[in-house]
Amino acid sequence: MPEEQEITRTIKKKINNTADFFKKSGYMSSSRPSVGWFCTYTPEELIIAGGFTPVRIFGRNKISRSESYFPINFCPYVKASWEGFLGDSRDFEGLIFTNSCDGMRRFFDIARRYLNDVPSHLLDIPHLKNKESLDFFAGNIKDTKIFIEKLRGKKITGSEIENAAAVVNNKRQLLKELQGFIRKFPHILNISTYYKIMELALVSDPESFLDDIRKYLDFLKKVTDENSSHLKTDLKKYPPIMIIGSFIAETKLWEILTEMDVRLAFDDLCTSGRYFENPIKLDKSKNLIESIASGYLNKPQCMRMADLGFKFSEIKNNIINNDIKGVMFMGLKFCDTMLYPFSTLKKELSDMGIPVLYLEIEYNNFSEGQIKTRMQAFLEML
Amino acid sequence: MGVKDKIKNNIRNNISQRYIKKLLGILSVKPLLYTYGNTFPSKADKYLNIFTIESLKKAYSDNKKPVSYGSIFLPYEMFHALGITPFLPEVMAGFTAGLGLTSQTLKEASSKWYSQDLCTFHRSASGAVELDLFPEPEFIITTNLACDAAQKSFYIDSMKYNIEKNFYQIDVPYHNSEKSLSYLTAQIKNICNDICLKRGEKLNLNRFKEVINLSNEFRKWAIKANNLRKELINYPPYYNGLNFVLPFHALAGTKEAVTLYRQMYVEFKNYLDKKEGTDTYDNRPVKRIIWLHLKPYYKSEIFYILNRENYRVVFEEINHVYWPELDPEKPFESMAKKMLSHYLSGSIENRINMIIKAAGDYKADGAILFSHWGCRQSNGGARIIKDSLKEINVPTLVLDGDCVNRNNSSQGQAKTRLQGFIEILKS
Repeated sequence: MPEEQEITRTIKKKINNTADFFKKSGYMSSSRPSVGWFCTYTPEELIIAGGFTPVRIFGRNKISRSESYFPINFCPYVKASWEGFLGDSRDFEGLIFTNSCDGMRRFFDIARRYLNDVPSHLLDIPHLKNKESLDFFAGNIKDTKIFIEKLRGKKITGSEIENAAAVVNNKRQLLKELQGFIRKFPHILNISTYYKIMELALVSDPESFLDDIRKYLDFLKKVTDENSSHLKTDLKKYPPIMIIGSFIAETKLWEILTEMDVRLAFDDLCTSGRYFENPIKLDKSKNLIESIASGYLNKPQCMRMADLGFKFSEIKNNIINNDIKGVMFMGLKFCDTMLYPFSTLKKELSDMGIPVLYLEIEYNNFSEGQIKTRMQAFLEML
Repeated sequence: MGVKDKIKNNIRNNISQRYIKKLLGILSVKPLLYTYGNTFPSKADKYLNIFTIESLKKAYSDNKKPVSYGSIFLPYEMFHALGITPFLPEVMAGFTAGLGLTSQTLKEASSKWYSQDLCTFHRSASGAVELDLFPEPEFIITTNLACDAAQKSFYIDSMKYNIEKNFYQIDVPYHNSEKSLSYLTAQIKNICNDICLKRGEKLNLNRFKEVINLSNEFRKWAIKANNLRKELINYPPYYNGLNFVLPFHALAGTKEAVTLYRQMYVEFKNYLDKKEGTDTYDNRPVKRIIWLHLKPYYKSEIFYILNRENYRVVFEEINHVYWPELDPEKPFESMAKKMLSHYLSGSIENRINMIIKAAGDYKADGAILFSHWGCRQSNGGARIIKDSLKEINVPTLVLDGDCVNRNNSSQGQAKTRLQGFIEILKS
C-alpha cells in the first residue's frame, strides 16, 4: 500500500509539473506577430491563416490606472485587460473585440479612442441562431478577414484557412482529451494544472502548443496505462461537480479546488469547454467562411445569446450526462450576462435536486479565505 | 396630505394587482381623469398624466386586446399596428420609485437571487413581476438596444409566464449598414407575421401605414417642440422633460402622442413668446444644461437646486428625435432604420456626435450625465463623453446615483457635487 501511494505521488508530481512538458508554449512564445482577442466567438482560424498568433487577453494586471477610464461597478476583466494596454505590453499587431456584452462594447470604444498605436476591430456577433443570423454572421466574419488582411498587407487564401482550421480543430480535440483525463483521474491530475494548460492553449503559438500537448497527453496515456492497477481509486470519494461561469481565470481559485477532494466532471467556461467544444466542420457545400460562422454560432452557447432557455437545457443535459452532483456558478462581478440568468438557473437546478454554489469573482482581487470556506462547506454538503 | 400623496400611500399599503386595477378603473373615468389632469399647471404634464393612466388602464384591463411587454427602445409603431397594448416594465420600475414601492420590489428581487449589482430598473421590474403586480402578457418583445439587461430580465419574465414561445428578441446589429438593415428588417417583419399567425389574424399593411403616418406626425411636433427649447428658458411650472419617457417611446404611432407633443409645442411657444427668449430670467443670467441619461424618479433635490440657481435643463438626450422620417410604404424597413439610427446603438461615437451637436444647438453651458447604478452601457462611456465635451469647452458632471433606489443614492453627496459643478460654471 505505501508503495502504491508512493508511485501515485511520483506520477502526480510529474504530470502536474507542466513546465517539463510545455516548453515551447507560453505568452509571446512565437516569432510570429500576435493578434489579441477577447471572446470565444472570435474565429482563431482567420488569425492563424493571416500568419499571426492568436493571443487571448487574460488581463493579468492589477487594476489601477484603468479605474479612471471605467466606472467603479464595471467588468473587472475589462479593466484588468485595459490596465495591460496602458502599460508596456503593446505587443500586438491588432486587437479583435466582439460586441459580446455592454462591457466589451465600451472597452472597444475606449481602445479606439485612447490606444492609437494598435489597430482594433469589432466582430459583430448576432444574438440569434437561425438562417438569417448565420448569413449575417458570415458577412461579419468576412469583415474580420479583411481587417486581418490589412494587418498582414496580403490576402488570405482558402488553403491557408483550411490549414488553420485543421490546426485549431486539432487543438480542440486534444483539449477534449485532456478533459477526459481530469474526469477519470481526479486524484492525480490537478484542476490547477488543467486550467494552466487551458490558458497555454489560449495564448500560445498554436503549432508549438500542439507539439507540447501531444507529448503531454502521450505521457499521460502511457503512465496511466502502465500503472493502471496502482492508480485505481474509488471515484465516489470525489463528488463530480460542474463549473459554470464566464471568463474565470483565477489561479488561486483553481489551487483551492485542487486541494479538495472533488472531480471536475464538466465545465462551461470561456476558458475551457466553450472554447474547445464543437470542431469546425468544413462543409464542401458551403464556403469556408460560412462553415466557420456555423461552427462558432453553434458552439456551446454563451449566456449573452437571446435564447436562454436553450442554454439552460444545454446545462441540464450536461448535468445529467455527466452525473453531476453539484454546480459551482462563478460569475465575474458586475457581469450582467451571468448575473441575470443565475436567479432562474438556480431555481431550475434546484428543481432537479442539484445544489448550486454561487461565487462572485472579482478579477485579480481574490478573497481566498472566504471562498475556500464556502467551497468546503458546499462540498461537505455533497 | 394632498390627494396625490393619499393615492400613493394607499398603493403602498395595498400593494396588489387587484388594487392597481381598481385604482386605474376609478382614475380613468373620463371626467375624473380630466379633472385630475387639470391639476397640473403644465398642459404637457396634463396630457402626459392622462395618456399614461389611459395606457395603463388598457394594459391592466381584462379585455381581448393582448398585452405585450416591451423594452424601452423598440419601435412601438409595430405594437399599435398589430393592435397590441404595450406595457413597459422598465418605465414601470420608474413608477415604483415614484410611488415608493421599490423597497418591496427590490426586496422580492433579492430574495430571488437577483444581485444588487444589477440595474435597479430591471431588478425592481423583476421584483414586481414576481409579486404579480404587472398584467400578464401574451407576448414579450425586447432588444439588445441599448443594453444587455432587458434581453435577460425579459426572457426570465417569459419563463415565469410560460410564454417562451412568444418571446421575441430583436437583434440590433452593431454597425449601421445595408447588411444590418436587411437583417433587422427581416426580423421585424418575421415577428409581426408570427404574432399575426398566433393571433389568427392577417397582417394589415393599411394599419401599418396609418400608424407610421401618426408616428411621423408625432415626430414633427416633437422636433418643433425641441427646436423651441433651443431658445426657451422660461418653462411651465414643474415641467421636467425626463418624465416623458413613456409617451416618447411607447405612444409613437398613436393619436395621443400627436396631441401631447402638439400641446407641448403650443405651450412652449406661448412661454417663449412671453419672454421672447432672452438669456436672463428674473434679471439673473440663466445657464443651460444638457442632461444625459435619466434622473431619479423618487423625490430628489437635484432639479430644485438647479432651478434655484437659475440653471435650466434645455435638452435631455432621452427626448432627442434620433430617427429619420418613416416611410409608410416600407413600414418594416422604416422601423429597422429607426432602431439602427439610435444614438445608443453601436459605437459610443454615435452618442457623442449627437451630444456634441446638441451642446452646440442648445448653447449648453454644461452637461450632467446621471450615472445610474448598474447601467454599464451608459456609464462605461462616461470618460469618453467627458473628454469629448471638454474638447468643445463644455464641462461635464458625472453625477453618481440611482434612478430607482433612493437607498442606493447619497443625496448629500449628490448635492455637494452639484453645487461644486455650479460653482465651476459660474466662474
